[in-house]
Amino acid sequence: MNPAPKKLHIPVEHTTLANGLRVVASPDRSAPVVTVGVYYQIGFRLEPRGRSGFAHLFEHMMFQGSENAGKMEHIRLVNSSGGMLNGTTNYDITNYFEAVPSNALERVLWLEADRMRALKVDDENLRNQRDVVKEEVRVNVMNQPYGGFPWLDLPPVAFRNWPNAHNFYGDFADLDAATLADVQTFFRTYYAPNNAVLLMLGDFEPAEAFALAKRYFENIPAGALPPRADVTEPPQTEERHGEVAEKLGPLPAIAIGYTLPPRETPDWYAAAILDRVLHGGRAGRVYRKLVLEDQIAVDVDGNADVFDTNGPTQMVTRIFHKPEFTSEGTVAVFDEVIEELQNKGVAPEELDPVKVKFRSDYYSMLEGGMGSYMPRFGLMHYLACFTLFDGDPGRVNTILDGFLAVTPEQVQAVAKKYLVPRNRAVLVRRPVNPGGAQ
Amino acid sequence: MSASALTQRTAPPALTAERPVEWPKRTVRTLANGMQVVLAESHTFPKMSAHLYFRSGNAAVARTAPGLAEITATVVRTGTASRPSRQIEEDLRRMGAGLGTTAGADSSSISAGGLAEFSSGILDLIADLARNASFPADEFERERRQRLEELKIERTTPGFLASERLRKVLFGAHPYAIVAPTEEQVAGFRREQIEDFYRHHYTPSNALLIAVGDFSADAMMEQVEKTFGAWKAPQPASVASPAPPRQSGRRVHLVHMPGNVQTQVLLGNIAITRRDPDWYRIILANSIYGGAFHSRLVLNIREQKGYTYSPGSGVNALRQQGYFTVRAAVRNDVAAATLTEIFYEMDRMRSLPVTPEELDSARSYLSGVFSLGVATQDGLLGQLATVYLDQLPEDYLESYRGKIRALTADDVLAAARRHFDSANAQIVLVGDRAQIGEQAALFGPVTEYDAQGRSI
Repeated sequence: MNPAPKKLHIPVEHTTLANGLRVVASPDRSAPVVTVGVYYQIGFRLEPRGRSGFAHLFEHMMFQGSENAGKMEHIRLVNSSGGMLNGTTNYDITNYFEAVPSNALERVLWLEADRMRALKVDDENLRNQRDVVKEEVRVNVMNQPYGGFPWLDLPPVAFRNWPNAHNFYGDFADLDAATLADVQTFFRTYYAPNNAVLLMLGDFEPAEAFALAKRYFENIPAGALPPRADVTEPPQTEERHGEVAEKLGPLPAIAIGYTLPPRETPDWYAAAILDRVLHGGRAGRVYRKLVLEDQIAVDVDGNADVFDTNGPTQMVTRIFHKPEFTSEGTVAVFDEVIEELQNKGVAPEELDPVKVKFRSDYYSMLEGGMGSYMPRFGLMHYLACFTLFDGDPGRVNTILDGFLAVTPEQVQAVAKKYLVPRNRAVLVRRPVNPGGAQ
Repeated sequence: MSASALTQRTAPPALTAERPVEWPKRTVRTLANGMQVVLAESHTFPKMSAHLYFRSGNAAVARTAPGLAEITATVVRTGTASRPSRQIEEDLRRMGAGLGTTAGADSSSISAGGLAEFSSGILDLIADLARNASFPADEFERERRQRLEELKIERTTPGFLASERLRKVLFGAHPYAIVAPTEEQVAGFRREQIEDFYRHHYTPSNALLIAVGDFSADAMMEQVEKTFGAWKAPQPASVASPAPPRQSGRRVHLVHMPGNVQTQVLLGNIAITRRDPDWYRIILANSIYGGAFHSRLVLNIREQKGYTYSPGSGVNALRQQGYFTVRAAVRNDVAAATLTEIFYEMDRMRSLPVTPEELDSARSYLSGVFSLGVATQDGLLGQLATVYLDQLPEDYLESYRGKIRALTADDVLAAARRHFDSANAQIVLVGDRAQIGEQAALFGPVTEYDAQGRSI
């Protein structure tokens, strides 16, 4: 009943078109479905100063009309082909993706090429989507308990360089100031084929898929990319603190962020495993201590987004604690967990299962990652990140080895080096009405 | 966009020939103890998931102890006769597995998924929780306190308050009226009640096990027999529920949240279950109305008017009853305008046939999206759970797309007339009454509540 562990091998083929567009294909004929994505190497970290929230507002504009597919046509054509679509804005990337029955592959490529070639939007579209984005901010942040906690609250406390430290959803005044000229400039600057990767996954013959990609995308002119903005942080010398009022929720919430080692360094692998020792569900050390043993907190979780960021990033712990405890006292107990790890390290008996779970979670992410209506979203996402950040989509089959090779000594060393006050920020979301309305 | 405006443009490529969707073979068996087992192989990733469902949820105890099924499921994972809580969590991690234990209105479940190489251990753990849970007193007290704090947070969440109020209004004395216990009810739970619910409802004759993953179905069935075969316990008694009230005329139920910067709109009416012959018609009508991104409601109040970010409509199918809902979170000054458009679009669905393009597009959308479910283990497990929990026909998956594609504009019109009850819709608004009270009154008699559910 328990066969030996299988080593997963994902087929990956890739090429670069004459205009610089990278194209990655991963065939899988097990179901008549394809997932297609276009990832642009632009996220909210790199949006123009004085235009907070612009990268995300712009993402909405990409659904408003292109040369041959007017407003709502893109959406209608995907839906009426039997597919789902969406887009998201992240720190370093913005993605557009759809899952469709495999007979719609060519149509979807045509649609993505059309909006990479020419955005065709007007002032009315911009006004409309500005209103929609404001309601998005209200429903997700302003009118929601713990809205924006801590992804909007923590970066301004943790970082000093504007690209890392501003309001990513955008101040309403900045959204209002955005013009159609800004939209077209942003499009010309960052939405060039040589700043993107096209991904095709699922039910197709790779040769045919590459031919279609070439047919629809290769004659889109390359752009002159600006030099990459400097997102480095000045050295941090002491712990940083911030506090934000929680207008709706009754419990105090704390976010503790430690800045991670740079991508693809040995410490980065060890930090990702360290994160799973501390977090990673109820067996994680922080949940066990604060929720199960000391019962100070009602809920604890945390994570380090190691795969899909390409600049200063934090491992973040989120703690919702009972109102009868102080936030300072709660952080002190959290610190005991960190100190124990630094002083005593981690035994192989604890680390080995953490790595088994890491492998399992990696497979789950590759297979799904965004609900069952977007098959292989995670595979697409990782292939895109490995292509854009590391120049090698084949990393999808090898990167796991680096995490599974991490030793107890490395975990302890990384805990000592990185889990220190001058590398962390603490943000408290303090209820205006502690204990809840009566 | 008119057709003439498109003549200068390149047309999108036609769809190529469709590849048939092949639903995986299911191995279905009812064990001697009454437990139903459904297995399906899926070999693309070396993973597996198993969900053990019991056909009893919060509705089974709504009259005596609302939320008892849910707290039972919460505490069930915290200890068995042979495994303390910490051991359970560490065993899970060792198998690369995650565990979820939860209860809704109609069922309770113990679900775990992890690496396929640990299939038998994962199954053993599920069985241990299902048969030998020990409900440690200290774990129960800890979970009870956590539930109380969660409830307080829910009472500040507009989406939760809206659905709680709508369910109360639509279902009246029916158990589906209650979506969450009160704080007093949670404080009053006793450990013996939980044990009692567990003993009566977590039984093999009340159980359905669905497993999907990278295993051999034959070997897995043997393992299931070995793990669950000796388990014996009787079927729980079923309780009849009173019918939901009949509504006459629109009424507004305003949940007052002072200072809220947005209004949560949620309205609806009683509709049908998945077993109703009208099911395919109503979901097609819903998809054209507000159930998809390219639907009329999204086009109107999002893409034309910019009132809201994620509007939509849905057909919610519970086991005994279903209900139709329309929702939108909108800025306060357009609450009335939003309701006007919601009803305009509903009445248009009830008055005029949809266009051939809309019909064609919605049929393709529903049948295509349904087939996406075959591509992941979780998607497939979800589809199988729908079929076997709701006791739908064995060929439900295979016949769904054909049934959707055979529907006509008349079917859609008939379904909208029957099930989009615009004239008697119950409207819930969650927001600041100083901002929206006058707008609310335009749509019917208004009853106001606070966030604790008390009339004000």
